[in-house]
Amino acid sequence: MALSLRPLWLGVAGLVGFGALLELVPRLGVVDDRFLPPTSRILSVLAEQAGAGPLWSAVGNTVLTWAIGLALAVAAAVVLGVVIGSVRFLRAATASTIEFLRPIPSVAWIPAALVLYGPVRAGTLLIVVYAAFWQMLVQVLHGVADVDPVARDTAYSYRLGRWARVRWLTWPTALPYAVTGLRLAATVALILTVTGELFIGGPGLGAEILRASAGGAVPLTYALVLVTGLLGVAANLLFRLVERRALAWHPAVRGEVPA
Amino acid sequence: MRRKLAALLISSALLVAAGCGDDGGGDGDGDNGAGQPTGPDQVSVGLIPIVDVAPLFLGQEQGFFAARDIELATDFGAGGANLIPGVESGQLDFGFSNVISLMLAQAGGIEIKAVSNGNNSTGTQGEDFGSLLVPVDSDVQSAADLEGATVATNTLSNIVETIVRASVRNDGGDPSTVEFVGVPFPEMEAALAGGDVDAAFAVEPFQTIIRTNEVGRSVAWSWVDAAPDLTVAAYFTSAELAENNPDLVARFSEAMAESLAYANDNPDAVRAILPTYTEISEELAAELTLPTWPPEINRASSEALAQQAVQDGLLSEPPDLDALYP
Repeated sequence: MALSLRPLWLGVAGLVGFGALLELVPRLGVVDDRFLPPTSRILSVLAEQAGAGPLWSAVGNTVLTWAIGLALAVAAAVVLGVVIGSVRFLRAATASTIEFLRPIPSVAWIPAALVLYGPVRAGTLLIVVYAAFWQMLVQVLHGVADVDPVARDTAYSYRLGRWARVRWLTWPTALPYAVTGLRLAATVALILTVTGELFIGGPGLGAEILRASAGGAVPLTYALVLVTGLLGVAANLLFRLVERRALAWHPAVRGEVPA
Repeated sequence: MRRKLAALLISSALLVAAGCGDDGGGDGDGDNGAGQPTGPDQVSVGLIPIVDVAPLFLGQEQGFFAARDIELATDFGAGGANLIPGVESGQLDFGFSNVISLMLAQAGGIEIKAVSNGNNSTGTQGEDFGSLLVPVDSDVQSAADLEGATVATNTLSNIVETIVRASVRNDGGDPSTVEFVGVPFPEMEAALAGGDVDAAFAVEPFQTIIRTNEVGRSVAWSWVDAAPDLTVAAYFTSAELAENNPDLVARFSEAMAESLAYANDNPDAVRAILPTYTEISEELAAELTLPTWPPEINRASSEALAQQAVQDGLLSEPPDLDALYP
């Protein structure tokens, strides 16, 4: 217990130190406090907003866009990943296309999203799904390719059907990869959700940041940025939990659990 | 655990289905056809969260749209040019954009039509909702001194370049020597304070903020320099909607005209509504210089503006205002 407490304590101290630094920098006049307000002012604006409805509806909208986008991307990537990964012909035929499409930064699709959908949620979803899909697909493909040849031969010897092989052979092998992919995709999807809300449209925290900055409300702009950060931390914690749950049987996770 | 994960996957699949359903519903704003008895027409309008669009929110509050069977849904975009594709593709019914963006869109083959005036300059030198600002300690005394200078504009190759050049030209300078850099309005104060630019063209509320903080002073009022009582922006729709549903477009235009007139006559109501859809504080809203909101587009001002845009090379030929304007 003592061992696990110290990093937590240190982590909190680090955060407080960082906050104190951001409090001092504008107070000492290193940066103009009109452009970077001290931490205390940002936090007081945040506390003010926390009592009001618009902030929570913005958080709700961002989470909704994020969840829809992530679900679409993950579902498509798992299905396509298992199918492509299991069929050698498909793997060979799609590899170059995937390697071509994957590195295209999702934000490069913003003008296209605007033309296709306009400044609404669907436009933002396009870039969210695009970014999250590749994170997941590549992991699933690697996972499917990692099936132990001996286990595979055994499965063939026992005449397991196609579906049984996916269920008892491919799936357990690919799961650790898929769960990692899920966590990466979740983080990327959140980044693209806020980006999309800022530069494309649709309701949410990005739109609120735009509104705050267009109204000259600098402390509020920073407070909203802080909220997006908190959302990111929450998302990461959530998917770490999912990872531990889903892979409780896996040696890598079992090894982490203190005896 | 595996069963739980399966449940997770199934629930995400359900979410996907729900997501699709949601999209389908959101697209349903196309009930502009015969569906009269089903209640008011749902009309989506793409806006920018700035002072200029206050009349629409006032008109909504005053019931000018409801009286014409229109129920407004507003979406904010990052800039007027971003809204044009959304309107053209039918995702939005109407949008708000400056007139140069509309002319550029027309030149690019996008079929849109202005349906209502947006907002105009005050027409008064020394008191307008936008001005060309220089750092307080700058040597620049008037626009002609900006020859060879670097000027911050919110968007490159757009209306602000045209009007800033007009200021320099009217003051006897050579407008072709001015260099523009893109700086979003909220960042202009920092750009002026840090000496990154020689001047910046800022609109409200940033014009007031920059002057109040004694970072910059105004040397020219470029909206006013460009043309008398310049129409800065307009509400527009797609040529398709204008053709297929002239009745809806006419009702929207009437409601807008009433809203513009109301805003023009009730500046206190404008100042009161600003904090509701922007993050401009009440104190700041009380100090701002408001634009004017005549109900009609000042077409002569657009002709003058277009002529200068052609002269500067921003437009390759004069726009077809008969096709673009009502």
